[in-house]
Amino acid sequence: MPETVKTTLDEVETVQEKKRTRNSLLRLAKRIAVDRVLLLIVLIAAISIWMTLAYPEAFPHWDNFAAVLLDAAQSGILTVGMMILLVGGVFDLSIGSTLAFAGIVAGTLVKEAGLPPLLAFLGGILTGTAVGTINGLIITRLRINALITTLAMQGILRGVTQLVASSGVANLPQGFKPFGQTMILFLQSPFWVMLVIVLLAWFAMTRTRFFRQFYYVGSNSRAATLSGIKVDRVVLVGFILMGTLAGLAGALLASRLSNAVVLAGIGTELRTITAAILGGASLSGGAGTIPGAFLGVLFMSLIQNMLIIARVPVFWQSIVVGVVLLVAIGIDQLGRRGR
Amino acid sequence: MQESQAENPEVAQTDPVAPPRLTVQGITKVFPGVVALDNVSFEVLPGEIHAMVGENGAGKSTLMHIVAGVYTPDQGSMAFDGLPYAPADEKAAQKMGVAMVFQEGSLFPPLSVAENIFAGRQPLNSLGLVDFAPMNSTTRTLLRDLEVDLDPATPVIELSPSQRQLVEIAKALSQQVQLLILDEPTSSLTISEARHLFKVLRQLAKRGVAIVYVTHRLAEVFEVADRVTVLKDGKVTGVRMIGQTTPDELIHLEVGRELSFEPDPRRAPPEAPVVLEVEDLATLRVTSASLKVRAGEIVCLAGLVGAGRTELCEAIFGIHPIRHGRVCIDGVEITPHHPLEAMKAGIGMVPEDRREAGLFLAMSVAANIAVANMDSVSHNGIIADREVVRLASQTAEALHIITPSLEREVMFLSGGNQQKVLLARWLARNPRILIVDEPTRGVDVGAKSDLYTILRELTRNGVALLVVSSDLPEVLALAHRIVVMSEGRTVGELEASQADEVAILQMATPRGVVKEGGLD
Repeated sequence: MPETVKTTLDEVETVQEKKRTRNSLLRLAKRIAVDRVLLLIVLIAAISIWMTLAYPEAFPHWDNFAAVLLDAAQSGILTVGMMILLVGGVFDLSIGSTLAFAGIVAGTLVKEAGLPPLLAFLGGILTGTAVGTINGLIITRLRINALITTLAMQGILRGVTQLVASSGVANLPQGFKPFGQTMILFLQSPFWVMLVIVLLAWFAMTRTRFFRQFYYVGSNSRAATLSGIKVDRVVLVGFILMGTLAGLAGALLASRLSNAVVLAGIGTELRTITAAILGGASLSGGAGTIPGAFLGVLFMSLIQNMLIIARVPVFWQSIVVGVVLLVAIGIDQLGRRGR
Repeated sequence: MQESQAENPEVAQTDPVAPPRLTVQGITKVFPGVVALDNVSFEVLPGEIHAMVGENGAGKSTLMHIVAGVYTPDQGSMAFDGLPYAPADEKAAQKMGVAMVFQEGSLFPPLSVAENIFAGRQPLNSLGLVDFAPMNSTTRTLLRDLEVDLDPATPVIELSPSQRQLVEIAKALSQQVQLLILDEPTSSLTISEARHLFKVLRQLAKRGVAIVYVTHRLAEVFEVADRVTVLKDGKVTGVRMIGQTTPDELIHLEVGRELSFEPDPRRAPPEAPVVLEVEDLATLRVTSASLKVRAGEIVCLAGLVGAGRTELCEAIFGIHPIRHGRVCIDGVEITPHHPLEAMKAGIGMVPEDRREAGLFLAMSVAANIAVANMDSVSHNGIIADREVVRLASQTAEALHIITPSLEREVMFLSGGNQQKVLLARWLARNPRILIVDEPTRGVDVGAKSDLYTILRELTRNGVALLVVSSDLPEVLALAHRIVVMSEGRTVGELEASQADEVAILQMATPRGVVKEGGLD
């Protein structure tokens, strides 16, 4: 009799223990699903390991690594701006055109107008700033919504760019190259530019009073106004910043290619918004972090790298980006329902 | 339109052998971490208006959602007209004739009244296109039955909240409703609109419809219900016939303790200086408003919905442009163009609609308190997280905010605690003047008493309080002085000692039409 009782107790204990392990595993899985940063780290690690095993001769090499990071640089710069806008509950579809326009302006300034390279580069950045300011003023003063405003701006700027530069500005002078082609610590300069911007934005969005306001505005803009936040000013600054970053990305791209291309940046808004949503942003605003945006970009660049190494035709890339966007939003919706 | 019971409702109500329209037997529903309903039994008869009262979180909504087929119970059973009833989903419940009119409403604002009523089941003509003529004429009949004067082609977006409510009820009626569930139907209605709703409900009951009426307002229970069931912490604590109970007993059943909302005997010293003075103020919707609030005084703005009380407060707080007139703080004129300027002048405001205009629902309690206090938690534009936590925990403690942690998203708090978070946001600024619009809307009885205590404490520290309330007993319990508004004007002023509900209503009602007694 006592034997049996003891066995049963033991059994109960093992069952409970099993349950406990399963519970803690479940909890870990849940935590990863809920915490976007953790989820992305796990996904990035998984892809890297799988690629290393599947393509040992192509994937795990410094050159490939550097290429991935260079690819991530442009998206990273843009996604920081987009993430800040999305946190504030708005977004910008004109960044691809802004980027091309800024590159053309910088190229024209340095080649046709003969301006010193540094001034031309700054001219490119300020072009983006101007576009962002116009977007922001239209949205906050005329109360036309961000979707319409930036969609219109996308078309207008693309047309203007082609009008002023037909096919682009080729063979930019030597002096213009260092911005985008300098190697620092075995990586090209655009990556370091992106890294600095990511770190600054991370600090700003977590610690500074001004940028924290984006979370309040995106979460409930009426409540934000009633709490003393100047909502229009916050949104305007967001667009100016986005335009500036798009200008910077455009000038950097022109410098890196020694060539200002009229068709640069087509489809970047899709990639950028996808990366930000992957990083935890939501179209309804108030959510998302800069580390999330950075990891989202890294994830997208890895996927791109994977497709290139696997020799998947180029047009597939855009299909994959679209699918990833839908999956990311799907996960977001499921998480919301689970609450 | 109604069948069987409609022929002889009196029999249905009194006949002892007629089965109840709905019987709920021993229902238990557990959500992760909470027992929402614990062995609850409940019944409603054909032709009966059965009120359901209880504090927030008592389980009223959960029970109603089970009846409407949204949730399935963990234990227990239900019967409909004596037959077993276990709806798989909302559609199944609707088929049985169960209709629920939700608090927030489920209408499509851009579509017409008729299209809303027939949403998803519009009559089609031979070409398979929507046939508007029969849809509009049926709608017209339905609306006439409800004594609502509305064109079926009017877009719902142009309707007032009460008209929308009636459209929802018409929608339920068009589906041959047998059991109508209303969840806080009067929260956005004026007194006369609520009266009209009650009349409609009584008519429906006469036709044999069983009605469950979920509410916070006890006065309404006594005005419209036949019977009342009280829920507390997921359990039924009492079922009473209306003639055999009192508000005090119901409150006791709801909270398990006696609460009194007696007026505060202490009055502000009359010689206290005037802090806020408004003189002949006009905005888009306010024609002319004048009032004074002294330090340590509670002035209540009473009046019907739409009288311009909220607009006046928002103008003082810098939301609406001021057309003419003056706002003075401590004798100095201010013209705030943005809430930030009003805040700098020492004003704070808790808005009427907590969820839409007050809270950042997905953000933490701490972030919700800190938002208006950035000056005190940041240095040179950098936020000190330690300061945020210190500020939030101090104020949360002072106001007895119940939350698992300061990091908890504010959407998970109860209505009363959410309201306290909003008060905490402003109290941390030590305002000279605090405007509170509907301080206790949608909060339970216990939290109401806490909120009154907090507001009274504030006056002891010399804060001038301007309170807007549509709840007349609340006005009488809180105010030192009552300023009445009607149709965009301040029309009169009453000392709390001379005021009663009739006097206030007399002043508040345009054209001098007085309705007997107060609403609640």
